Amino acid sequence: MTTAEELKNAYIDYVLTQGDKPKSVYVFAKENNLTEEEFYNFFGSFEGIEESIWTDLTGKVLFEVQTQEIWEQYSAREKALAFFYGLIELLKSRRSFVLYSLNNSPKSFGTPPVLKGAKKVFEHFAVNIIQQGIESGELADRRFFSDKYKDALWVQFGFILNFWAKDNSAGFEKTDEAIEKGITVTFDLFEKSPLDSLIDYGKFMMNNGGMKQNMKF
Amino acid sequence: MKEQNSIPTSKTERSARFVKTGFKVGGNYIKHYSKKLFNPALSKEELNLDNATDIYASLSELKGSALKVAQMLSMDKNILPKAYVDQFSLSQYNAPPLSGPLIVRTFSKYFGKTPSEIFDQFNIRSKNAASIGQVHEASLYGKKLAVKIQYPGVGDSISSDLKMVKPFAFRLLGMSQKELEIYMNEVEERLLEETDYDLELKRSIEFSEACRDLKNVVFPTYYPELSSKRIISMDWIEGQHLKEFMKSNPSQELRNQIGQALWDFYNFQQHELRAVHADPHPGNFLITAEGKLGIIDFGCIKEMPDDFYYPFFSLTATDLLENKEETIKAFRELEMIQDKDNPEQVEFYYQAYKEMISLFAQPYMSDSFDFSQTEYFEKLYGYGEKISKMPEFKQARGVKHFIYVNRTNFGLYNILHDLGAKVKTDTYKPHVDRFMLK
Repeated sequence: MTTAEELKNAYIDYVLTQGDKPKSVYVFAKENNLTEEEFYNFFGSFEGIEESIWTDLTGKVLFEVQTQEIWEQYSAREKALAFFYGLIELLKSRRSFVLYSLNNSPKSFGTPPVLKGAKKVFEHFAVNIIQQGIESGELADRRFFSDKYKDALWVQFGFILNFWAKDNSAGFEKTDEAIEKGITVTFDLFEKSPLDSLIDYGKFMMNNGGMKQNMKF
Repeated sequence: MKEQNSIPTSKTERSARFVKTGFKVGGNYIKHYSKKLFNPALSKEELNLDNATDIYASLSELKGSALKVAQMLSMDKNILPKAYVDQFSLSQYNAPPLSGPLIVRTFSKYFGKTPSEIFDQFNIRSKNAASIGQVHEASLYGKKLAVKIQYPGVGDSISSDLKMVKPFAFRLLGMSQKELEIYMNEVEERLLEETDYDLELKRSIEFSEACRDLKNVVFPTYYPELSSKRIISMDWIEGQHLKEFMKSNPSQELRNQIGQALWDFYNFQQHELRAVHADPHPGNFLITAEGKLGIIDFGCIKEMPDDFYYPFFSLTATDLLENKEETIKAFRELEMIQDKDNPEQVEFYYQAYKEMISLFAQPYMSDSFDFSQTEYFEKLYGYGEKISKMPEFKQARGVKHFIYVNRTNFGLYNILHDLGAKVKTDTYKPHVDRFMLK
């Protein structure tokens, strides 16, 4: 009895050795001793397989970092960092497939279709740690903007993934730097900053009117 | 150059200085891009020059007394490499602390295990900043350990920063690239060695083994199995830094004891090992409760080749200076006097360097020397001031080895002066017989 797991592995093996997708679902199913119909019980298309592989990877990273002993001691910022380090570590074992999949997904703005499932998993995680950060006072709760924090983290996800794909440094050390610096900037922006005070002050002055009058001595 | 009111001394002050430079450089970028908004033709030149000027201003502001003295060794124009040596090595790479997850990542990358799996205890918050990384406290089998972790990408940034400042440094100093290149390369080489933890571990073990029998000097045990390219694990040495130690009003006897340990440590290396711990920064030493000198950093080692060692130490350790002909010969070997010099120049440099070397060699001339006396240091600084104003010293002179050997010895003199120690200077004497036979 073939499982979804086996099909995914067979698919990875196929694209990596052949450098391209199988000609048709029919051919691929046959090679794996399935009928085409049975294949559709698992996945709707080859793209579906790829998407599922990405989703699995993301889920696996989350499971791994969250079961680390130190996880509970981490701040939101550190949790995000730990996720990305974990991601890069795990992707290393699947680098060829990742490069294949990224290169073969349509180039356009927005999330590539194969990452849709991964995005859902990641966003769920991001919302959680952001919520935790806001509750603990680590991050600033800004009207309209707090809801966008998760999007900023997803942008980092894409950025880091692409950076890593192009990284030629030994041990992908450059990617480590990119993660460390990128997440620092992102979270610095999420934190309370002078800008918050400035906006707050500006609002106060607007509401209490007569900015011009008050400026005169 | 702007007037300088005080020289930042402590490590924190020094890093604060560099943070300021960082802001300034950042500011230069903002300035650049806002100007560019209105004038798209504006070249990057101006930006780079702005940056280099600020970096250079900050470097020279940091020069410290040791640097001032180093001008003595003919290399007034080598302020810059000297500043590189002192500053690029320390403060600048006090980069933001590594995040907890990056530390975990570094460990899993090199050991396949997290710090908490390796050690019984590991404090994820760092205790001190090391020059290019940070130090964590850990324990294993009831032993307290110091674990040094390097920031990723330090090596790259050293090279790229040097590259950026280089061309402007030449311009600022009005020196030709060729003249300065030799010194720059020497500095870059040492700095890059400092980022190589495999090498540092190897040297730490070798040097602490070789210096094991020195009196009142202690070294941590190093743990190669807990070390890697980016991590060094060693015993945690409890002790005070020089500043704290001096605040505790130690007796003259104790100060002499520490001073002697330092003197022995340096001179044993120079004359017996021919390679020396070239970073006599107070932060690299700890004074233990038992009155011993703990040495905790072997990142920067300067090896002394024969063609430098023999001529240089023959000058300081024998009565060679009495013999003008031989002295000039040695100066030529050290490139302090060059072939292109005319007879007047030869005479001039002979006199100037002779004065300098005899000043430098003074502690070696008798069997003990009191480093607390300020007159000696005033003379040294005075001499440095004097030659820094001489047009004849506008050009770099002397072989490249001077940079680190000077830094080491003047650094040592300065620490001994701060300690106010009187030391026996005949414990480890230079071996110069081979040169004499020539």
